[in-house]
Amino acid sequence: MSKHFRIWLRMGAMSLSAQLSYGLGSVGFLLGKLIRLLFFFAFMVAIFRHAPSVAGYGLEETLLFFLTYNLVDIVTQIFFRGIYGARRAVQEGDLDYYLIQPCSPLLRMAASTVDFLDVTTVMPVIVLLAMNWQRLPVPIGPGQAAAYAFLVLNGIAIALAIHIVVAALAVRTQELENTIWLYRELMFLGRFPIDVYSAAMRWALVLFIPIGVMTSFPTKALLGTLETGPMLYAFGLSAFAMALSLKFWRGALAQYTSVSS
Amino acid sequence: MSKYLYVYSLSLQNVLQRRASLLMDRVGGLAAILALYFFWSALLGQDERFLGYSRAQMLSYVLAVSLLRSFAFTGRGWEVVGEIASGRISSYLLRPLSYQGYCLAQDFAQKTVHALAALLEIGALIYLLKAPLYVPTGAWTLPLFALAALLSSLIFFYMEFFISNLAFWTSQSGGPLFCFELFLQFAAGAFFPLDVLPHPLQAALRMTPFPYLVFFPVNIYLERVPPGEALRLLGLQAAWLLLVASAVQAFWKRGVRSYAAEGG
Repeated sequence: MSKHFRIWLRMGAMSLSAQLSYGLGSVGFLLGKLIRLLFFFAFMVAIFRHAPSVAGYGLEETLLFFLTYNLVDIVTQIFFRGIYGARRAVQEGDLDYYLIQPCSPLLRMAASTVDFLDVTTVMPVIVLLAMNWQRLPVPIGPGQAAAYAFLVLNGIAIALAIHIVVAALAVRTQELENTIWLYRELMFLGRFPIDVYSAAMRWALVLFIPIGVMTSFPTKALLGTLETGPMLYAFGLSAFAMALSLKFWRGALAQYTSVSS
Repeated sequence: MSKYLYVYSLSLQNVLQRRASLLMDRVGGLAAILALYFFWSALLGQDERFLGYSRAQMLSYVLAVSLLRSFAFTGRGWEVVGEIASGRISSYLLRPLSYQGYCLAQDFAQKTVHALAALLEIGALIYLLKAPLYVPTGAWTLPLFALAALLSSLIFFYMEFFISNLAFWTSQSGGPLFCFELFLQFAAGAFFPLDVLPHPLQAALRMTPFPYLVFFPVNIYLERVPPGEALRLLGLQAAWLLLVASAVQAFWKRGVRSYAAEGG
């Protein structure tokens, strides 16, 4: 475990050096990410100057959904950004090199890029979450806070499972970009409370594309509106998704016969 | 002119050949439209009006934005950055064609496919969600909207081309392009109508070309501006296009002069 942590730290330090040496580019990407976060936030605040609630949620609750979505999404980006380069790693032969190294090729691939720009983006999310937390209309008990924290981690675990499937697809097919970008675009649905969607969409977002479980369940638990059944389902789903994705990944590696080198 | 038609035709075939890619692009794009559609639907609740928009107008705003995003926001920015940075642009500079014309022809091929796909999707959404579509009553509304959409797509093309030309001076122009594209979507009203913003901010945005890309064209479609005002807006749109296109010509000439064919 400590060996893998040291590898991750080393890869992280290399990513940071690369991002610092890409000055103007990094500033542009960082500004873009901050613009996306702050403009969306500002628009939501502006909308609630004209409307009292959305799907029964007031401003603070809707912002909590939005900020939780960002927390899950950005933390996922920080740690698993390297998966976006999985196709290149396969096509250029880097995967062959990872396979002969004494560490997990999956960790090596995921850690090949640690997105430090997103470390900067997650700071305002945490600050806004803390500010918004104090203004919530319902009192938050320690049990609700703990359920929120666990469900956020659970959401990140489901995101990890999806990233592992995408990496396995890259190994199997040498195609990837569309799959990962499809995931990114579908995540847009998580920006709003799951309750704004129609019943059929809500089912789809819980059972088939579990974006609702990843982004809305934590907030609902914090607000005390998530029952025990759905909560257990969320944890069961992440365990199942992780097991399935790792099986898929191992199957992809077992069939891999080297592509380029 | 015929050579650009060939480029258009070849690009069209290229887009259509990558059907899985196109399908995933469209499915991904649908997510944003569905999210915004349901968000506005929930916001309206039982109310019939919001910020002066009727229910049909507000939900049609989202659908019209979907069409405009597919038609106007295609661009070739990332390809231009890649071609300049890798030196591949050298081969185009040696050919007897205008690189901007070449990119524009490629862009229009993308627009053709994506706009048609968007129309199909909107039709399907209206049918499946029983969405109340706002149907314009004025005879001139649709031609004016079509003209506004065309001008909007050209303004976007030249603005993106302008930022992409930074690649002549730095290999890090991807960052500014990313930042520009995100800012543009908010400032153009591609996520939310600009009416929700406080008045001073709206007034500030009106002095930029951004609202002419989405917000004003959609308002023409929704007949929220009278025909006389729509013509004035189209005139301002044309003026912005002229300004941005002229800036691009000057910037492009300077860029090509400083181009050192690195990587080529």
